[in-house]
Amino acid sequence: MNDSTSEPPAILARDLRKTFRDPERGAVEAVRGIDLECHKGEIYGLLGPNGAGKTTTLRMLATILAPTSGSAAIDGVDVNENPLEVRRRIGFLSGTTGLYPRLTAREILEYFGSLHGLQEAQLARRVEELLDIFDIRPFQSGRCEGLSTGQRQRVSIARAVLHDPPVLILDEPTTGLDILASSDMIDFIQSRREAGTCVLFSTHILSEAERLCDRIGIIHQGLVLAVGTLEELRQRTGVSWLEDVFKTLVGEAGG
Amino acid sequence: MKSSLGAVLAIARKELVASLRDRQTAIYTFVLPICLYPVVFWLMVQGALVVRGQRERTAVTVGVAAAREAAPPEGLVAALEARAEGEGGRPARTPIPNEVAVEEHASALAEPAARAWVSGEAGDPLAAESEPTRPDAVLFLPSAQEIEEGARARLFYQSSKSRSELARDRISQRLPPFAARLRGAAARERGVDPGRLEPVEVQRCNVAPRRDVGALILSSLLPILLVVMAVMGSFFPAVDLTTGEKERRTAETTLLLPVPRATVHQGKILAVCATAVVATFLNLLAIALSAEHLLSMLNIGGGGPQAVFELPVLALLATAPLALLFAFFVSAVLTGVAGLAATFKEGQALLGPVQMVFILPALIGVMPGLELTLGWAFVPVVNVVLAFRAMLVGEPLYLAYTVTALALLVYAWIAIRVAVRLLSREEVLLAGATIPVKRLLSVLRGEGGSD
Repeated sequence: MNDSTSEPPAILARDLRKTFRDPERGAVEAVRGIDLECHKGEIYGLLGPNGAGKTTTLRMLATILAPTSGSAAIDGVDVNENPLEVRRRIGFLSGTTGLYPRLTAREILEYFGSLHGLQEAQLARRVEELLDIFDIRPFQSGRCEGLSTGQRQRVSIARAVLHDPPVLILDEPTTGLDILASSDMIDFIQSRREAGTCVLFSTHILSEAERLCDRIGIIHQGLVLAVGTLEELRQRTGVSWLEDVFKTLVGEAGG
Repeated sequence: MKSSLGAVLAIARKELVASLRDRQTAIYTFVLPICLYPVVFWLMVQGALVVRGQRERTAVTVGVAAAREAAPPEGLVAALEARAEGEGGRPARTPIPNEVAVEEHASALAEPAARAWVSGEAGDPLAAESEPTRPDAVLFLPSAQEIEEGARARLFYQSSKSRSELARDRISQRLPPFAARLRGAAARERGVDPGRLEPVEVQRCNVAPRRDVGALILSSLLPILLVVMAVMGSFFPAVDLTTGEKERRTAETTLLLPVPRATVHQGKILAVCATAVVATFLNLLAIALSAEHLLSMLNIGGGGPQAVFELPVLALLATAPLALLFAFFVSAVLTGVAGLAATFKEGQALLGPVQMVFILPALIGVMPGLELTLGWAFVPVVNVVLAFRAMLVGEPLYLAYTVTALALLVYAWIAIRVAVRLLSREEVLLAGATIPVKRLLSVLRGEGGSD
């Protein structure tokens, strides 16, 4: 992990809130005032059960959703004021950021690269580079609808890092993947730390969080209950297993 | 244990319950059949009334010519000019209904010249005039001797021109009472029963050039095809690029592009429009090229002069700007509406009735007798149909055409703005369920749109 004191946080959120209007339930507060601070070279895990507000938080940071209130900045750029610049500085992956099934892997990379403003020669170089790094070359010309889950995952990662973003936001990145593809994803996340990228990812898989995260934020019912290294969380709760840490914190919060 | 029939009925009952709880199935099974036909009939009646009103307001000119040694009977001009109050049995509402101006040719004409007077073909008596005012139809009266020899009075008109057909109809309506009066007077003069006198027959002669007849037939086919194909060409791309994206889980992928949301949706509408334009153009071209063969097989336009079909290159080129604007309009509307759906199936169901919003006015637009006026130029769909019809039959209506183009431009711009605004809303973009129509306005007004 890099020294976090010398430069501004790669991700900074203050009192971030999101309320949805549901025709049947009325106003639903999905996120109720979340504070987050992640730094370059850090892997931050947002750990919480389904419906805790993880995905909504990450979508707000990725500018897919507009916050109802509060503020958030990516690499110093405010998500409300300059969402386009934020999108240039993040790579976002989730179960709902699928690949265009009728395009080939190469076409998708070229499409995103061109809209990220990469010049023709630069784009060509970068695409070739990614085809090799993620071992996409053997299936680069096949339509994505015909690719295996693992192959799609590799193309998705390549799409997310194509513009070499300083921040990666991953929403449950291993959900739905088989063992090998999950392992590849975990290796990829670890490799990003070494590259100095800030990685914020959500998960409800405790082992993933234990293995990967420099810091863990426990999220429940739209609130961050605690943040710290695994050791700090153990000390605070007095239990050793992360599962017990989670249960204790949720219990304290009245959940 | 249930019998085989009992099991079939039980399964059918369960499937029916499940099926009818699906909103689209319920709409197509109950709501549409009950509502569609009254709406269609009402629209058609309204259209027919408008056409009738327009016909009644249209003044036509009839030429009356007589052969050498013949003269129009006394009172003929007055009989033709007399206004038939409320043709069709309905009191006329217009101040000068069904006006017929009669122009008698000063000198005697041979039959070919009388025919040329209306058609402008070789032998035209107006050929020498600098600004000829050509009658819409010509009534030619042979001499008494020619009648004795079996000649008949002839009514020359052109089926390719609606005014000419209108003139024909008015003459055909006003001549018989006049002829009956003449016959009665002649019978009284001779002291015989009117039934013993042979009536003078008036033979209708369609002198429209064969090419014009072909153009007229095409003008009743191609404009509606333009509308239908623009709608059909937009239909699936509009659903595919909006709800299809949601279903394929690529909508969020697209939202990650570092471009404004409006740009994304404008790009989608452009893609939908491009498909619609290609589909429309290829269909128009194909039908225009194969019209002669197809229509001769169907015997459309039979009875009159044999139609000659030519590829209406100029009409197609002149209509292209209107077709393009119309395609943008349709694409924006269909894309905006399809975006409200959560699934492909719901998108298709939503667009079903929307198609009719375009196709029904198009049906009104091809009603015989309706012409492009400045008023119609502001009515979307009808205006493009009428403008295309006018182009195909070679009636240059420059002002109305320009107004049509401007109106379509404004409608397309509004449709694109509304569609983009709608599609940019979070509630629409990431909706897990179809947005109900009643929430549409609040979605348009509400917050949630972003770059």
